[in-house]
Amino acid sequence: MSVTFRIILIVVSVLTLWYTARKIRKSQMQIEDAIFWIGFPAVLVLLSVVPDIAKWAAGILGVQSEVNFIYLSIIFVLILKIFSLSIRFSQMDAKIRTLVQEIAIRERLEKEKIKNGTKV
Amino acid sequence: MKLLIVIPAYNEQENIARVVDNLIEHYPQYDYLVVNDGSKDRTAQICREKGYRFLDLPVNLGLAGAFQAGLQYAYRTGGGYDAAMQFDGDGQHDPSYIEKMASLMEKENLDVVIGSRFKEEKKPFSLRMMGNRMIQLAIKMTTGATIKDPTSGMRLLNRSMVREFAQNLNYGPEPDTIAYLIRTGARVEEVQVQMMDRIAGESYFNLRRSVEYMVRMCVSIVFFQWIRRRRG
Repeated sequence: MSVTFRIILIVVSVLTLWYTARKIRKSQMQIEDAIFWIGFPAVLVLLSVVPDIAKWAAGILGVQSEVNFIYLSIIFVLILKIFSLSIRFSQMDAKIRTLVQEIAIRERLEKEKIKNGTKV
Repeated sequence: MKLLIVIPAYNEQENIARVVDNLIEHYPQYDYLVVNDGSKDRTAQICREKGYRFLDLPVNLGLAGAFQAGLQYAYRTGGGYDAAMQFDGDGQHDPSYIEKMASLMEKENLDVVIGSRFKEEKKPFSLRMMGNRMIQLAIKMTTGATIKDPTSGMRLLNRSMVREFAQNLNYGPEPDTIAYLIRTGARVEEVQVQMMDRIAGESYFNLRRSVEYMVRMCVSIVFFQWIRRRRG
């Protein structure tokens, strides 16, 4: 693993950590969501500082070089993240739909109650 | 002291009537508010039929969102609540301790009073209490304060805490918020209480959720606490 690549990894990870911290500080992000964006860059920093970990893992998995192992892991983690985000997005979509329908129906029912003189 | 008992309820059809009827009958000096957190069972119907005072959330928000809805009500209702109580809808909490908690809050001018199972009594060495111990240790390390029952769900918040909890993000009614508040200057004390075992219904915590909860709490207490800025 070249020194340049390691430095790039570290710089990008530190920037991500800094940006996440800023979002938390400004109360613009929930802690549940921030945990991933602290943990993931922290692991990347660890892998760049201690390249032997990646070398060892690459050897076990039969991946050619440790850089390939790092690429592979990043892609893998990001796919998992996208998948879980997609599920969450879906659920949120459904929730908003329910919410909007509920508000409209409650308002309508309220009006009809008043019209029928059954307002309590 | 004018006090609102906030009872978040998710699928509590077996318990909610028992809990609320007990409050109405024996503790009329306190106001209560059930927050039905989008339950899939008959919780909302029961509240409606019995004429309880309740918020009916159309979708499930989770404990933090439901409790916050209750506090928003307490804060915005103009009724001028001096304090709000976080209270379980499953019958674990005994309202007879509220008076002791409220009077300690008044006497010592506290921000938060926790109904604690282990203030005076020994904490058992069980798997369930391992998480409790870990969180206690994390709070001790980061704030220096000893909270013997950080995971207790029975907490009394004073007026300024009600406003702060109602208006901010990342203020779930959980130990990490308590730790963060202590470190930033809030006054928190515990009062010994007895809790009953859940009589009916199912606990939210299975193994996976417990592990997730522990990770969330420890990371939040050990790391995120330092990044956050309290604006009150």
